[in-house]
Amino acid sequence: MLTVTDLHVSYGGIRALKGVSLTVNQGEIVTIIGANGAGKSTLLNTISGFLKPIAGELRYRDKVLPRKPDRVVKAGICHVPEGRLVFANLSVEDNLLMGAYLRHDRDGMAADMEKVFTLFPRLKERLAQSAGTLSGGEQQMLAMGRALMTNGDLVLMDEPSLGLAPLLVQTVFDIIREIRALGKTILLVEQNAYKALDVADRAYILEQGHIVREGAAAAIKADPAVRAAYLGTDSKAGG
Amino acid sequence: MTQFFQQLINGLSIGSVYAMMAVGYSLVYSIMNFSNFAHGGVIMLGAYFGFFSMTLIKLPFAAAFGLAAVGTAALAVLIERIAYKPLRDRKAPFLYFIISAMGASIFLENIVIATIGPTFRTYPQVFSRTPISIGGLSIGRLDLIMFGVSALCLVALVLFIERTKTGKAIRAASYNMKAAALMGVDTDRVVMTVFAIGGLLAGVAGVFFGMKYTVYPQIGNITLKSFVAAVFGGLGSLPGAVLGSVILGTLETFVAGYLSSQFRDLIAFVILIGVLVFRPTGIMGKPSEDKA
Ligand SMILES: Nc1ncnc2c1ncn2[C@@H]1O[C@H](COP(=O)(O)OP(=O)(O)OP(=O)(O)O)[C@@H](O)[C@H]1O
Ligand SMILES: [Mg+2]
Repeated sequence: MLTVTDLHVSYGGIRALKGVSLTVNQGEIVTIIGANGAGKSTLLNTISGFLKPIAGELRYRDKVLPRKPDRVVKAGICHVPEGRLVFANLSVEDNLLMGAYLRHDRDGMAADMEKVFTLFPRLKERLAQSAGTLSGGEQQMLAMGRALMTNGDLVLMDEPSLGLAPLLVQTVFDIIREIRALGKTILLVEQNAYKALDVADRAYILEQGHIVREGAAAAIKADPAVRAAYLGTDSKAGG
Repeated sequence: MTQFFQQLINGLSIGSVYAMMAVGYSLVYSIMNFSNFAHGGVIMLGAYFGFFSMTLIKLPFAAAFGLAAVGTAALAVLIERIAYKPLRDRKAPFLYFIISAMGASIFLENIVIATIGPTFRTYPQVFSRTPISIGGLSIGRLDLIMFGVSALCLVALVLFIERTKTGKAIRAASYNMKAAALMGVDTDRVVMTVFAIGGLLAGVAGVFFGMKYTVYPQIGNITLKSFVAAVFGGLGSLPGAVLGSVILGTLETFVAGYLSSQFRDLIAFVILIGVLVFRPTGIMGKPSEDKA
């Protein structure tokens, strides 16, 4: 569904991605785990069209992916960004409607709105409330709901569990499963490697701009070397 | 008492013209976080567009008005393309935008001096100078029309921002440009729309300004007062820009009426410094937001 080939991205002189290749197949949950500064957000931002690669290719559904963020959304990729970025100055309802900005299918939008309410009943209770007054967990739900309203088939998620209380972290990973059950494909970036490997089918490990490991999530989770580096006994939950 | 109301009406009238200029500063600030000092030059050219449409092309008033507004909208968009878009594409620091804006402003003023000349020009008389008397007050026809048209434009702007999908996209982008792009908003188009709206209102304001006073290349400097009004109201806030402008317009009319017109412009800058010192976010400044 998504193919990234030998992607190089830099910020000025600083190389952040040094030849990253990966694929995501329809219906999968694929996770990219890696430490702070490994280049995870850089990868998602490049897929979404915010950063221009200096080399490499991005293909989605057998077509070269457009290099402008709004065109990427149109192509069917939605992105739940790091830090949520909900529109604090708009109501919860307007935030969700912004997700449907490019859509004109009123029936489909109404149906997706219902799906969002089923996943996140809290949002329905707070429709008229300004998004800036939501709690961190609620904002994360809104950011996910808003992305679902774009009706994209591939959902990019950048550290959705970051900064949430342990109980909510579990909820977020449960929701990721439910989103897949809706027929979405998910590319999940996480520092919470343990939970991410639990929910994912396949995984890539990113270290300083290089993919150093890839494989079935279960196999990676069982690998002693990986366990030592990323799932240490005092594995940082959430961050 | 009559004099009081008379001054109040004059103040509201000039304040509403300031408001049309101030929302241009505010709209751009809300999206791009910098003060677009080229806006004064656009207003100045609006005054010239209107003047020459009436004198040279001999268009009727309403048509000249429309032509000026469309001309300044196009000019504002053009300035954005040339002076700011390359900086946006490079994600340049805000200081660069301000420097570029000042450059554009100086360019506009000097190109007018070099081509049209530095002379003061007076608009042909469109509205009779005999005031209308309402309930013992005599109100200038131009003042009345200025107030009416400005109020209408501002109401239209508010409806556009609050009710339309594009308006919602502008509000979303003003909170966070990246997040708006993630929703499929073409942020280049949002920026263009904001400059076009600002330019449109600048044209209307420029024509009124030219009619009320005179037309000359340095009008842009006087429009800095509307920038002060926008800061006073809270840069980035539309209601703030309108409120700040009305207060400034009224205040300076009273100062001119009761004290001396020498003090009129002084007031604006005393307010600016006062606001910057005591309440930097202005009356309705947008809450500081963590830019991603
Ligand atoms: N805007 C930027 N300008 C310069 N360097 C940047 C910028 N953004 C990221 N970098 C650098 O690129 C590298 C990768 O950053 P990135 O944000 O992709 O990491 P990450 O894996 O998402 O980390 P985290 O887990 O902390 O979110 C880092 O070394 C970072 O310092
Ligand atoms: Mg990151």
